[in-house]
Amino acid sequence: MSEPAYNGSQLVLDVLADEGVEVVFGYPGGAIMPLYDAMYNHPLRHILTRHEAGAAFAAGGYARSTGKVGVCMATSGPGATNLITGIVDAQMDSVPLLAITGQVPTHLMGTDGFQEADVTSIAQGATKRAVCVRSVGQLERTLRAALRLARGPRPGAVLVDIPKDILTARCEPLRPRMLNAPTLRVIEQRADDAALDEAAALIRQAQRPVAIVGGGARSANATHLYRAFCALLKLPHTSTINALGTAQPGDQRYLGMCGMHGWKAANLAITKADLIIALGMRFDDRVTGRPDKFAPDATIIHADIDPSELSKIIPAAVALRGDLRDTLTRLTERLSSSPSPTFEAWAQEAQALGGPPPRDRTPGAELSATDVLDAFFAQLSPDAIVATDVGQHQMWAAQRQHAAHPRNFVTSAGLGSMGFGLPAALGAQIGHPERTVVAICGDGGFQMTMAELATIRRYDLPVKILLIDNQRLGMVRQWQELFYDRRYAHTDLSDNPDFVAIAQAYGIRAEFVGPGDDLEAAFERLLQANEATLLHCACYPAENVWPLIPPGGAISEGMEPVTA
Amino acid sequence: MSSTFIMHDWRLLERIVGLTNRLGCAYTRVDVKASGEHYTANIDFTGPPDALRRLSTQLNRLLNDDKELTL
Repeated sequence: MSEPAYNGSQLVLDVLADEGVEVVFGYPGGAIMPLYDAMYNHPLRHILTRHEAGAAFAAGGYARSTGKVGVCMATSGPGATNLITGIVDAQMDSVPLLAITGQVPTHLMGTDGFQEADVTSIAQGATKRAVCVRSVGQLERTLRAALRLARGPRPGAVLVDIPKDILTARCEPLRPRMLNAPTLRVIEQRADDAALDEAAALIRQAQRPVAIVGGGARSANATHLYRAFCALLKLPHTSTINALGTAQPGDQRYLGMCGMHGWKAANLAITKADLIIALGMRFDDRVTGRPDKFAPDATIIHADIDPSELSKIIPAAVALRGDLRDTLTRLTERLSSSPSPTFEAWAQEAQALGGPPPRDRTPGAELSATDVLDAFFAQLSPDAIVATDVGQHQMWAAQRQHAAHPRNFVTSAGLGSMGFGLPAALGAQIGHPERTVVAICGDGGFQMTMAELATIRRYDLPVKILLIDNQRLGMVRQWQELFYDRRYAHTDLSDNPDFVAIAQAYGIRAEFVGPGDDLEAAFERLLQANEATLLHCACYPAENVWPLIPPGGAISEGMEPVTA
Repeated sequence: MSSTFIMHDWRLLERIVGLTNRLGCAYTRVDVKASGEHYTANIDFTGPPDALRRLSTQLNRLLNDDKELTL
């Protein structure tokens, strides 16, 4: 069969390449076959995952770790619906993601055709925009606008659905613009001067200010400005889980992660603060606990690019609507004039409010997951990229990580999607082929997407997998123990498969560690390996994550283990 | 709260209705007219003041995104 005349499918790939997209993650199927046919000899790189969910999570991991738009694609119907969790995951954490789905031919739409699903309606509430292209003439403009919208000002997910007849429709070849993969749009939104003056005045008057940074600093590429701002003021500061790695490594005034499983010093400092400087964060309920008891004595300065976040949960006395790079630059300028306020004494007091997160004592000789992770992070370079799955291991890792940059800690924060870790790590490894990338997974989440071991094997990705196996859905088990009278309904995974055998069956090197084994040596072998490797750690099933803000509790009311 | 929205994609109405419901608000009037490539919706909302405020800012975000990506 000869090569088809230039058509919508080739146009799609050419637009993506022209916009600087380097890789797409996807899975073929009926309605999207013309697009895959065009891929046969197109230079755009395609990573074939083993499930569409894996493609969406991998695109998310790629985007989170690189700052570029992650692109995933799938066919109509089940292919498209399988992408949805990964799409929502990206949208919740403001991650730039473009999903392209095939659709049944236009004349079959609305007839309940084979593999027809109204994916744009399904995705409407889950994306910034979800559109179905109805003519080949709309394709280029729609895709370019979709990529622009995904990038920002606040990044997010966009879905473009393309019927099969549009993919095969003849059209004029693309006239390339040769764009260079912009990771950010130009600054369009700037906080107004009066609000910045007011914010600076509040900071100068404050006695106990605390800064809280969120994922907006990463999205705005404002990490260095945030570090300089905190250093100038000698400011105690804390981070949401989505911004871990934003603080300068080794900064003694950094109080650790705040929120439900946050460090005690961070939560208590917020509670004692007279001023909260919230930067690119959205006062998620996992951060605030009971909102009416959050920072009860504090005035709130809230900086965000998205006006719908300002005063959404916690009323702001001063709202700084704008790009955080610009906001931090201009706020720092206002505070740099002599004398700059400094809060060294308060920072020391705040630091003394609490130590590292407490932990359970593990009875008997079984491995403690927190011991495992302590030892692991002691050996891991801060420049490595860590992608976690969701659950107890995620919180333990978040409490212990020491990432040198917020793009080095990749986690499903807002949506909390189990199954995220492994495919996100493979996406991050595609974006950073020379760097160490580690997936830290629990046994529950790992089994949701472990078919992506095949993807890792196929593309020879040297992803390191640290599997924390406590034979339980640990976080749910913990809540059953604490809040559901120890009624352990359906959280027992003690019949887990042999993970080492599974990895080996996929051609992945694998090793088991249990009680009495030399953990440090095992980590060294894991991290030195130049091929994909899984390390299966069998851990004590009943270890809990501490502290824990109970449901409906204030962040000053963290529960701790009785025996600690 | 009475609002007038200019939409390029009339399916946005579905999303407005969904978001209104999600935030615990309701509408007492929905009036949509097509004019060229735009749709103008006049909607009267009722609900708790806090929810209406959140609804208003989130609807503005939806409308901005609608402007960015029109077919």
